[in-house]
Amino acid sequence: MKWAFRGALAVIVMALGVWIWVTLFPGPEQAIRKRLAELAQLGSFAGNEGPAAKAFNSQKLASYFTPDVEISVDVPGVPRQKLSGQDDLLKAAMAVRTYLSNLKVDLVDITVTFGPDKTSAVANLTLKVQVNGEKEFTPQEMKFTLKKVKGEWLIREAETVRTLSQALNKLNELNRLNGKLILFRQEVPA
Amino acid sequence: METMLEAPVQSPSLLRRVVIGRDPKRTMQRVVILVVVCFIIAKFVLLPIQISGPSMLPTYGERGINFVNRLAYLFHEPRRGDVVSIRLAGPSIMFMKRIIGLPGETVAFHEGHVFIDGKLLDEPYVKFPCSWEHEPRTLGPFEYYLVGDNRSMPQEDHTEGKAPRERIVGKVLL
Repeated sequence: MKWAFRGALAVIVMALGVWIWVTLFPGPEQAIRKRLAELAQLGSFAGNEGPAAKAFNSQKLASYFTPDVEISVDVPGVPRQKLSGQDDLLKAAMAVRTYLSNLKVDLVDITVTFGPDKTSAVANLTLKVQVNGEKEFTPQEMKFTLKKVKGEWLIREAETVRTLSQALNKLNELNRLNGKLILFRQEVPA
Repeated sequence: METMLEAPVQSPSLLRRVVIGRDPKRTMQRVVILVVVCFIIAKFVLLPIQISGPSMLPTYGERGINFVNRLAYLFHEPRRGDVVSIRLAGPSIMFMKRIIGLPGETVAFHEGHVFIDGKLLDEPYVKFPCSWEHEPRTLGPFEYYLVGDNRSMPQEDHTEGKAPRERIVGKVLL
């Protein structure tokens, strides 16, 4: 019993040590995860945010991206949108904060893959957005390409991923381009 | 002759017996085993889910609780008509859809009806009529075509399309 207690204590102390080490000296993956958690926090806002706070938080949010950031949004029912550069992003962030009264952003299921140079990484994740305090949420799969700039991980590219693809096969695409859309000959019973 | 006095054996109270049992050590062992078994089942076998959104109406109502059987496709591949869960970046948030097209097939929508390789698909689970139109899409060797049962929604608001086999997490149990 005494030995079991000592063993359990040793395991707890070791786990605590590992946790302290990881917190104080995070590896690149932990650094990226921490950065994305901060980004989600900055992207969320409540209705009581004043104009100064709106500008400050939008500015801070934009600082998580590289100056030449490319953001591509392709979701069903909305025309494809593209943002280029921090200025575009800042304007969009301010617009969202102005038009919506409340936004809650969560980034879940984050998977990080590093490039061979270890100064670039790709983070695949699911973005969960709740607008104006509604219970319903919109999930969107995303791909972030990050770059290490002066010791900090910044987002270089952000793009939406279509979980369910609508892409046509190559033959259909060719026929479409040639104006020869394949039509149905099957009659539908009334 | 010595007089022996024996203290009466106190049996635990009814409440204690019901809550902790006669042997607390054994009860604790049972609780630990139960927690471990529940954790393993919930993580690797039956994934508990809460349904959100109207795309599977009327088959599955909003806010309903269900389970995803992760072992359903261990011995056979997904079949047409199966309601499955599709992972996004991971299993925390998933889409719940019905398989209508199998690998290699061509799927199309015309006046709200589904056509597989040009033949009309009978869909008794679709209760709300629609007028969806989709030009034919041919699926790859490991691709499935997935769509919700609620076709009364505007087509652009309904997430549907092709997904590779590895995105299918499991079959919805109930």
